[in-house]
Amino acid sequence: MNLTLPRFFWSEYRKRRKRAALITFALFWGTLSILLLMAFGQGMSTQARVSFSGLGQTLIMVYGGQTSLPFEGLPKGRPIMLTAEDVDYLKERIPEILRIAPESYSFLPVSAEGKEVNRTVHGTTAEFGIMRTQVPQLGGRFLNADDVALGRKVAFIGWKVAADLFGSAAAVGRTIVINRVPFTVVGVLQKKIQDSMYNGPDAEQVYLPFHAYRQIDNRRRINQIHIQPRDPARSKMIESRVQTLLGRRFRFDPADRYATSFWNTIEDAKEGQAIFRGIEIFLGIIGALTLLIGAVGVTNLMYAVAKERTKEIGVKLAIGARRRVIVQQFFLETVFVFAKGTFWGFITAFNIVNLVRLAPINYDSFGIEAYLLRPEFSLKIFIVYMLVLGVLCFLSGIFPALRASRANPIESLRYE
Amino acid sequence: MIELTGITKVYRTGSQSLEALRGISLRIGKGEFISIMGPSGSGKSTLMNIIGCLDTPTAGEYVLDSDKVAGLTFDQLAAVRNRKIGFVFQNFNLLPYATAWENVELPMLFDGKNGRRRRERVTELLNAVGLYEWRDHRPSELSGGQQQRIALARALANDPPILLADEPTGNLDSKSGEEIMAILTDLWREGRTIVMVTHNDHVAARSERVIRLFDGQVLP
Repeated sequence: MNLTLPRFFWSEYRKRRKRAALITFALFWGTLSILLLMAFGQGMSTQARVSFSGLGQTLIMVYGGQTSLPFEGLPKGRPIMLTAEDVDYLKERIPEILRIAPESYSFLPVSAEGKEVNRTVHGTTAEFGIMRTQVPQLGGRFLNADDVALGRKVAFIGWKVAADLFGSAAAVGRTIVINRVPFTVVGVLQKKIQDSMYNGPDAEQVYLPFHAYRQIDNRRRINQIHIQPRDPARSKMIESRVQTLLGRRFRFDPADRYATSFWNTIEDAKEGQAIFRGIEIFLGIIGALTLLIGAVGVTNLMYAVAKERTKEIGVKLAIGARRRVIVQQFFLETVFVFAKGTFWGFITAFNIVNLVRLAPINYDSFGIEAYLLRPEFSLKIFIVYMLVLGVLCFLSGIFPALRASRANPIESLRYE
Repeated sequence: MIELTGITKVYRTGSQSLEALRGISLRIGKGEFISIMGPSGSGKSTLMNIIGCLDTPTAGEYVLDSDKVAGLTFDQLAAVRNRKIGFVFQNFNLLPYATAWENVELPMLFDGKNGRRRRERVTELLNAVGLYEWRDHRPSELSGGQQQRIALARALANDPPILLADEPTGNLDSKSGEEIMAILTDLWREGRTIVMVTHNDHVAARSERVIRLFDGQVLP
């Protein structure tokens, strides 16, 4: 490719670049806006997903309720109390279930080394840890299958419980006492962001193996069942199967909406993601409109340049320039103006995003800053930005370039 | 080389029309030095524009080097101007932001000549017009005579067989004018066809033949 003409055009452009200073700034500002808005939009979306997954990954929670319809001669108003046996019953009959775990809990005093706090204590199985994103800090672990099978007196505690009872000292291996029964701490929950919860954040919970928990709370009923489908897309079908099977087991009408209730986080996540996707798109559009202002400035500049250079265009045409040379020159100059403004906008946005990401997030009071302090760049943002930029650059450059190229050489030569 | 038959040019503005050329027939042979003279409004510039392929006639036929110009597209006309015709204007028409070197190089860039050929040719031409030392200067840093010599060098860049000069000495002092005329005369002696528009009888006297126009027609 012969780069002499572009080089020549560049040297011509450089002689006029001072005039383009304001336009360059508008493009800088537009690029900064679109990139920052998209980065913050994507960051919010990601953080929403992360904080939602703090509760669990693709999870359906099933709760017992009260019948609202008479069924097979039985009156309405009967309580439906789930038990640990229901977990096995469902697992055996619904092959689409990947994991399933029971959960019982009570608000109980928890003490260690002379300190006592009241916390929700849960009894569950090893699978709960995977489903509910219970990631242990280094040196610890969540409850395992043996803990559950053997009814070991072990506990997995939230990081706030660990801090309340042991301060900054290591909690793993220490003993906590619940209802006068001692439990050995085997793991402490790693800090995480969590915006969906029941009974408070996981940081303030205590988890025991299901059978060990039964020793301090001997109620037969359980509070809820956690289900993770093999295929998240089939979660609604699993909900329906669970409702039908429990209806058969507890003799209630499968159409009875109040006999059981479901918290389908998969469906919630879809809705949440749709909202944040909407916000992302909205922010991107605002950014693109800001960049559009810069692009309109470039178009005006290039029209003015075309007018100002009428004579020069006439000279070029007279000495043999073809139309595409004139188009090429104006188009390249538009690209130069865009490149200069947008390059520095890109660099500035990149640095701002990386600086903001250095700010710490307070996991103890998870709030708006967790959404705002984690903007992120991605290939998707880059592609969207380049597409918007390409379209605006093309539209800004092509019309002045075409007008310039259609100049009549004689009239252009006469132009003063 | 240049053959014009019944050339008419009519300019229309709204409902009015102005006949700038009225059936001009003219033949200019290869290697001729022609002057076109006439009062203002006689059609000299219009005729030059048509000969220079900057404009097309309303009627009549223009044959340049055995090719009919009428059927050529805008870009084909540009190619003809680039390779076959060199223009020298009264007010030089150099690109103000380009250096003397760049101005001379430009027609070769439009012709797609490679860097080495361009460098050799620009060096040769700037030396020929005595301005090689001024190669990095912009037009505003040169005198009128120097600018016209640069314009002449630019006109010769692609070694065209025809030079069209529109009042080449009109904006110059007599000494610079003489220098330009000397160069044009040398170029004619080398075999180039020169067509020059002038008001100046003294300048026109340097040419072989003078064509006088009046009201868009050639005076007998």
